[in-house]
Amino acid sequence: MTSLPSSNAANSSPSESRVSSLVTVLSQIGAWLEALGDRANPILVKETRQALKSRQFTGTFFIVLVACWIASFAVVAISGPSVYYGAEGSTMLIVYSAILAFPLMLIVPYSAYRSLAAEQEDNTYDLLSITTLTTGQIIAGKLGSAVVQMLVYLSAVSPCIAFTYLLRGVDALTILMVLVYFFLASLGLSLLALMAGTAAKVRYTQVILSVLLVLGLAWFFFASIFLVGGFIQESYSFLRETWFWVGNLAFLTVYVTTFALIHAAASAQIAFSSENRSTPIRRIMFVQQACFVGWVAGALSAEDTLKDLGGAIFASAFFLGLYWYAMGALLTSEWPYLSRRVQRSLPQSKMGRMFLTWFNPGPGTGYVFCVANLSMIAITGLILIGFFSSVMTTNPSVDQLLYFLLIGWSYTVIFLGVGRLLISLARRFVYVSMTAGFLLHVILLLVACGLPQILAFMSSPNGSVQYGLLHMTNPIWTLYLLVNNGSTAIEAATLSFILIPAALIVLLLNMRSVSAEMQYQRSLLPTRVAEEEAELHPEPEAKASNPWEEEEKASEQ
Amino acid sequence: MSNANGFHPGERRPLIELRRLFRYFGETRAVEDMSFKVYAGEVFGYIGPNGAGKTTSMRILATLDEPTAGDAFVDGFSVIDDPDRVRRRLGFMPDYFGTYQNVNVREYLDFFARAYGMRGSERRRAVGSVMEFTMLNKLAEKPIDGLSKGMKQRLCLGRTMIHDPAVLILDEPAAGLDPRARIELREMIAQLAQQGKAVLISSHILTELAEICDKVGIIETGQLLAVGTVDEISAKSQAKSQVRLRTLDDSRPLRAWLSQQNDITNLTAEAELMTFNHDGGQKEQALLLRKIVEAGFEVVEFASKTKSLEDVFLHVTEGRIQ
Ligand SMILES: Nc1ncnc2c1ncn2[C@@H]1O[C@H](COP(=O)(O)OP(=O)(O)OP(=O)(O)O)[C@@H](O)[C@H]1O
Ligand SMILES: [Mg+2]
Repeated sequence: MTSLPSSNAANSSPSESRVSSLVTVLSQIGAWLEALGDRANPILVKETRQALKSRQFTGTFFIVLVACWIASFAVVAISGPSVYYGAEGSTMLIVYSAILAFPLMLIVPYSAYRSLAAEQEDNTYDLLSITTLTTGQIIAGKLGSAVVQMLVYLSAVSPCIAFTYLLRGVDALTILMVLVYFFLASLGLSLLALMAGTAAKVRYTQVILSVLLVLGLAWFFFASIFLVGGFIQESYSFLRETWFWVGNLAFLTVYVTTFALIHAAASAQIAFSSENRSTPIRRIMFVQQACFVGWVAGALSAEDTLKDLGGAIFASAFFLGLYWYAMGALLTSEWPYLSRRVQRSLPQSKMGRMFLTWFNPGPGTGYVFCVANLSMIAITGLILIGFFSSVMTTNPSVDQLLYFLLIGWSYTVIFLGVGRLLISLARRFVYVSMTAGFLLHVILLLVACGLPQILAFMSSPNGSVQYGLLHMTNPIWTLYLLVNNGSTAIEAATLSFILIPAALIVLLLNMRSVSAEMQYQRSLLPTRVAEEEAELHPEPEAKASNPWEEEEKASEQ
Repeated sequence: MSNANGFHPGERRPLIELRRLFRYFGETRAVEDMSFKVYAGEVFGYIGPNGAGKTTSMRILATLDEPTAGDAFVDGFSVIDDPDRVRRRLGFMPDYFGTYQNVNVREYLDFFARAYGMRGSERRRAVGSVMEFTMLNKLAEKPIDGLSKGMKQRLCLGRTMIHDPAVLILDEPAAGLDPRARIELREMIAQLAQQGKAVLISSHILTELAEICDKVGIIETGQLLAVGTVDEISAKSQAKSQVRLRTLDDSRPLRAWLSQQNDITNLTAEAELMTFNHDGGQKEQALLLRKIVEAGFEVVEFASKTKSLEDVFLHVTEGRIQ
């Protein structure tokens, strides 16, 4: 195997001798990674090698190192002998955090973005994409090299952080939590940056995206300094609270599931078009919703009474409504034809077709998928209200909650459904990409909110606009009034008489194309593929991945 | 019985097959209804003027682009439905070089070997043998940014064959190579074909293709105008050989005589020298010469030149540009 060039010192000037000794140390890390085996992601291995030779990387490393030393000396000089008995540890930790935030919040994510964009610019992306690496591996490799960089920066700062511990005033757990937060934030930002990198295929979007990315990262950089600063100052009390740890755990659930979702989406962005790019994403959405509901249920059961049930139902309905609207706007923009490759793995049994069809790619199945999930939540909410209405507190009141569930459900069903119909109509004349489809949904919502506003404004003599049935196409105002001013403010009963049937009609109108999408049957493997499968895996008897497939097997025999 | 891929059991499977392939870019018809097959051990030459659709069809085969209609198969796998399987057995050398910063020749090859899932000693052996094959051994530690055009071209070819693919698609591999490197490249390709690989190669330098290709396809504006061996195409394109004739003294009587013959066209003359196109093979030419001599003309030179690939190319294509 290649040995990394550790003889750089031989042909470098004396001023670079320190750099080269660092390079030797780093190349040790490289050698260690090498030994870690062939199993490592190829991109990770290559980019680690590149980073070790890159001036930008070693340069930033030194700047961080020097900044830490200067900060340390400054504090020691300012506080003088009091450094021995004062508790300067937490101040120092904040200073070092600010220094660490620079590479972790800005440099690492931006390099991740650049490394993907550079593959496109330097024509290596084509070469990479026709290797046998999967798109998931490509994203994972890029993330992995971001993690390696993070670890190197962390190790540069670690002696200083140990120093803060010696200064007293800060405990080890606080330091650990700060490092964990930084790590997670940097990893998450790198993934987002990679997602932006996969979207940037045209020069023009690339420029806009990189500007937005830099602005976003800069904002995160400052925000992270303030947040971590606040945390360090309050950590003494935080760390003793149960809710703090429970909150962290809940946050971790959200983080992990969202991470998986974005990772899958970024991989899908660069996958070839006949690949099934939707089903994995839908599965993660489903899991994410289950986690959310699980946490809400857990939080409720931890309390003695059910008086917060109403609030919990309201919050769940609100978040999941928004969630499924946003996801639905994307799913209903999918392409309505299934590739032959996707058709090979469609569910076949009756039960499978009933429950798993909605995980198949396609705007119709996507619509039903979102509506089904949302309906499940709404129905659960209604049942819970039915059983426990007597023990719930009065804010929000029971009828507010009921109407919120019904009207909110109707709005989501209507807007997603009408949007989907518009997209399929537009597709008869022009090519509508997924982004365009999503924008169409947004425009639909804006028009529905804005149009009655304009009409009312023009017809009212003094220019003030009151809520009326005219505004029922405005879900934002309607639901806002319902929550704040109660059900009478919007004539909720009349409204649900109109909206619920409207939602059902939209649902029915969509059923025609949904059933068209359901017509797809599993197609046979091409002979050549079956041949190779038999060669590669001599035992084609695959284990059933779900109970329905077993039934399917039995029925085949 | 023919199966889903359209092959009969027992029939030799082509390693490359284009089946009614179309690729439009808006109004531009880059590839229009192209079909051909290339079998193991064959070198297929792709000839066509600029913008003919060579790169486009090669990119589709390499799973980098998708056809508007039709399909292409590599070792029986569709490039649309099973690009993952196609990629395992295909090496594509584009007409550009993809470069990474701070990477040397060995690391570059090592990276792609890893990316094709090769591990441990297998990978080391592959990198070693590719460097030997492309004669890049001495440059192993050289950063790839600093390589010359020809060296890059070799490295590119090396990368293409790192995973020992059964199918090689080479888009203008000889561009920018010096004459010696060209001969070497030609030998390399011949060697690869001997190993049983199917090679699809495009080039503008026709003499080069004529020597190494078992078959050539001439394309223009996305359409395949002719496929076959160089001889077959020459024959099909009603190739006339060009004859040069020199007489001892004044050629005018002979000119008058020749213009009476019906298999002679394009007669031009300059003092004693005449050139004309003659339909028919060598036998007919020998007959013609005897007739001329028997008619009493004094011939000092009679040379006939069969058409080169270049002539065929110029004859078949029309220089259309879209
Ligand atoms: N991405 C693209 N967008 C629009 N048109 C394209 C694109 N790629 C190729 N074309 C057009 O398709 C036609 C065929 O191009 P192609 O690159 O395949 O030609 P070629 O035979 O490789 O030519 P050359 O000998 O110059 O390399 C050209 O008219 C070209 O303009
Ligand atoms: Mg070309």
